[in-house]
Amino acid sequence: MKPDGGNWEKILWKNQGFEDNYIHPQFFLESLRKNPNFKPYTYSSLVLLTCAITQHISSIFIFLGIFFRLRAGVLHPRGILWFSMGAFCVGYVCWSLLSSRQSSNFRGRKITSEQHLKTLKSSILVFLALISLSPVLRTLTAATSSDSIWALSAVLFTLNVLLADYSVMPTNEHGQVRLSSVLSMNAAISGSVVLASRLSTDMAVFALAICSVVTFAFFPLLRRLIQGTCTSAWVALTLLLGASAVWVATYISDTFTYLCVSTLMVVTFVAPAMLMWAQKFKNEIRGPWDVAVPIVG
Amino acid sequence: MEKLAIAMISDFFHPNVGGVENHIYMLSTELIRRGHKVIVITHAHKPDRVGIRWLLPSLKVYYIPFIPIASSATLPNFFTSLPYLRTILLREHIRLIHAHASLSSIGHEGILHSHLMGIRTVFTDHSLFGFEDAASILTNKLLVATLKNVDAVICVSHTGRENTVLRGQLFEKDQNDPTKLSVRRSVYVIPNALVAEQFKPRPPEPSEFITIVVISRLAYRKGIDLLVATAPRICAAFPNVRFVVGGDGPKLIDLLQMREKYFLQDRVELLGAIRHSDVLSVLSRGTIFMNTSLTESFGIAILEAACAGLYVVSTRVGGVPEILPQDMISFAEPDADDVYRAISEAITLVAAGKHDPMKAHERLKTFYDWRLVAARTEKVYTAVVQSPQMGLVERIQRTMDLGPCVGPIYTIILLVDCIFFLVLEWFYPREDLDYVEHHWDDGALTQLQSLSYSRES
Repeated sequence: MKPDGGNWEKILWKNQGFEDNYIHPQFFLESLRKNPNFKPYTYSSLVLLTCAITQHISSIFIFLGIFFRLRAGVLHPRGILWFSMGAFCVGYVCWSLLSSRQSSNFRGRKITSEQHLKTLKSSILVFLALISLSPVLRTLTAATSSDSIWALSAVLFTLNVLLADYSVMPTNEHGQVRLSSVLSMNAAISGSVVLASRLSTDMAVFALAICSVVTFAFFPLLRRLIQGTCTSAWVALTLLLGASAVWVATYISDTFTYLCVSTLMVVTFVAPAMLMWAQKFKNEIRGPWDVAVPIVG
Repeated sequence: MEKLAIAMISDFFHPNVGGVENHIYMLSTELIRRGHKVIVITHAHKPDRVGIRWLLPSLKVYYIPFIPIASSATLPNFFTSLPYLRTILLREHIRLIHAHASLSSIGHEGILHSHLMGIRTVFTDHSLFGFEDAASILTNKLLVATLKNVDAVICVSHTGRENTVLRGQLFEKDQNDPTKLSVRRSVYVIPNALVAEQFKPRPPEPSEFITIVVISRLAYRKGIDLLVATAPRICAAFPNVRFVVGGDGPKLIDLLQMREKYFLQDRVELLGAIRHSDVLSVLSRGTIFMNTSLTESFGIAILEAACAGLYVVSTRVGGVPEILPQDMISFAEPDADDVYRAISEAITLVAAGKHDPMKAHERLKTFYDWRLVAARTEKVYTAVVQSPQMGLVERIQRTMDLGPCVGPIYTIILLVDCIFFLVLEWFYPREDLDYVEHHWDDGALTQLQSLSYSRES
């Protein structure tokens, strides 16, 4: 019929005299937008964000190193115990300082001495519970072969790395703690309990259990706080943890060292570069058919 | 044109009610009026609707014994429907199948199987889908594979066509310039229609109130959050306005809470689910129809309301801007403030008596008509039947174009389907089929009727 299509309109209620399969060369897909919210990443910001993962993996490597040394009988359990308790105290002081600074910025809520006492009480409770449970933990998997234990702990630690919450905000949009981060912590604690059951003395089991609680339950809280407040401290902490992971690994074996170094390097430096490279394949299609987002209130 | 035997295939059909179901029924009816033979193939419906049923006027429906998994859609399993479809399509001498709705797997399977019997295929897409979530990505992948070998695609709105073209990747090499991709010539836009006689405006009862009607499933996608946010403001600003809300769904609780919080029990009436036959009586209680959908392919509810003489206020989403002229509808962005603005303007306009229901009804009558829809669809059928059919080799080539992973998978499905068909041909030969010889004959019926009348007199 009409070949030019100059007066074609995008309407259905009027017969415009065009064939039903007529496609207007200009109006067709004119409201299609590709990658409207495209924001290219910068390498440095990505590396800074990946530091959280690096720190987490480093802490697992350090923990594994401690376990191997304890098992070989090279490291004294008492030393580990004092080290863990020292780390806990230093970490707690840092945490209370940082969070009091942050909360005075936001809501004016101060950490009172009452809360400090409460923390002391519950930490003593955890301490006593672990010390009374350590004989049970030591014989927990006596009937299981060591190979199954290695496999099980590997699975549990992998789960911990995959499910861990690496974001600054510990809560989701409803203000609740995310389920995956709780699962992640539980996986890590179970993994360490299973590993601890391979140790020979009650004291060693207790020391490793305390160490795992400090590493997997308390450290992520401090990590998040540091990430939110100070960039230089964040980088320094990453370097410290990475270096100590490698240092601990050198005492175990060469293979373990290579594994540790290559994992940390890939995660920190190669993975962000790969993400930046993959960004050029991003093809987000938007148009009038998308479900609109209602603006209420 | 020559008279065709057509099979409509879809998971969505009577006894369920909805836009797709009604579309298939109305289109079939009009095609039968134009002299074609039409049957419908769908899955069995609980409790006992299985086998062959007849619907007025002489529409034969096959309910295949498949069990739907969710919202009346069957599981996509590619092969299980072939024995049923082969028998049905052969015994009814079908020349063309018309599959409906992109979530209907039985329709997709019909398109996959029918080339084995030399039957042509048409597909109608009724809804809009995004490209983001996992469900859309998966169904879009299925759709691409199905539409690769379909003869024609019909969409219900221009926006719907843009969406389907992108989702189904309905591009092919340009005839003039092989380096460029252009949209296939066989993608049509044919809108829905409505039976205007069913939505005649009733004379309004004299009342000092202005009633705003909302008829919708109360779900997030229908934008009930916008209604919840604006209704209290409207009620506060206009003391002579009240709301009537028909429909049921998960957002009913939000509406109930809003009503309690603002003490609007006497201003906002919640009717719950309403039957399709009661829609007109609900519509005729009001003067303004409010639609807050966040996505809409065509918006037949808007047309029904406009036809019943209501002034329409709608969100500007999907294909809604295409269906009515500017002076019968006013638009708002999906933003509570803008919806409030549009509703306030509509209330002022209606209160000033500037909207004439009868005139709107008369105008709408001329816009949409199922007879025109059937005639336009018939043109598509003619074009499809006259076009050369693809051979198996071309089909395999096109399927392999799908991609390095999906291509081989779908080619295997295509080839296994061919082998399955050959097994069926050998196991259950065509000579043994129970062919349909007698068709519905309106002439015979009227003859009998006149005979019985003459006997009575």
